[in-house]
Amino acid sequence: MERRSFLKGIGALPALGVLGASGVTLLAKESKPKGKNAISFKKALEVITHGKGAKESDKVHLVVPEIAENGAVVPVKVNVDLPIEQVKSIHILSTKNSNARCADVFLTPRNGKAYFATRIKLGGTQEVVAVAVLKDGSAIMAKKPVKVTIGGCG
Amino acid sequence: MAKRKSIIKIKPRKYKVGDIVKVDFIVIHPMETGMRKDKKTGKIKPMHYINEVKFYFNDELFTTIIPWETVSTNPYFSINMKVTGPGVIKVVYKDNLGEVNEKSKKVKPKG
Repeated sequence: MERRSFLKGIGALPALGVLGASGVTLLAKESKPKGKNAISFKKALEVITHGKGAKESDKVHLVVPEIAENGAVVPVKVNVDLPIEQVKSIHILSTKNSNARCADVFLTPRNGKAYFATRIKLGGTQEVVAVAVLKDGSAIMAKKPVKVTIGGCG
Repeated sequence: MAKRKSIIKIKPRKYKVGDIVKVDFIVIHPMETGMRKDKKTGKIKPMHYINEVKFYFNDELFTTIIPWETVSTNPYFSINMKVTGPGVIKVVYKDNLGEVNEKSKKVKPKG
């Protein structure tokens, strides 16, 4: 019995070692140098809405795929159901990319409709957020999760 | 400076004065995030992305887009525009290395 437990102990040691090593690599991954433009989602939202925050509203229609096979190309479409005179800008953000901002669009009445479409990169499964800033300074937003099977950013 | 390829498309192809049309703009650009490594040399590729796109109609600015490096390679932007008469759409785009290019397309409403 003693011999058996001893062997078991020996067998467990390398396993522990492997775990330790993977832990170190995980830490290294987290602390890898971020891009020059790195900004967290919270901070980016604060900057866009001037610290007021955005309300979730069903007037912002965000169209994204539920599952993105390739994170390097994720089509995003935003439609705001308000007259163009009221909408000042549209912002597309992601919650977990190292740079949360994707695109800022400043509109004028010549646009006719508040609409914007583009393709973005997503580093992993996360939420895509569309924020519309209105003329009176308030902000409305819509959120949708996207499942990414292959990351594309970073 | 290298001249970049870009396309402006107006959808639908036939439109009248007063219609709201879709203006699609596509550029061939690497959109490097500054976080990827070159597999051959092992060095990090420097950041290279478009950071300003401006849409003009008859020299009147009507939309400004500020993309970040999180926009996909060969970026595609689509916006709406109200047609008020014949004219020219001009798109001026800049990247973070100082490259400035422009592309224009005629607007010819029928009827």
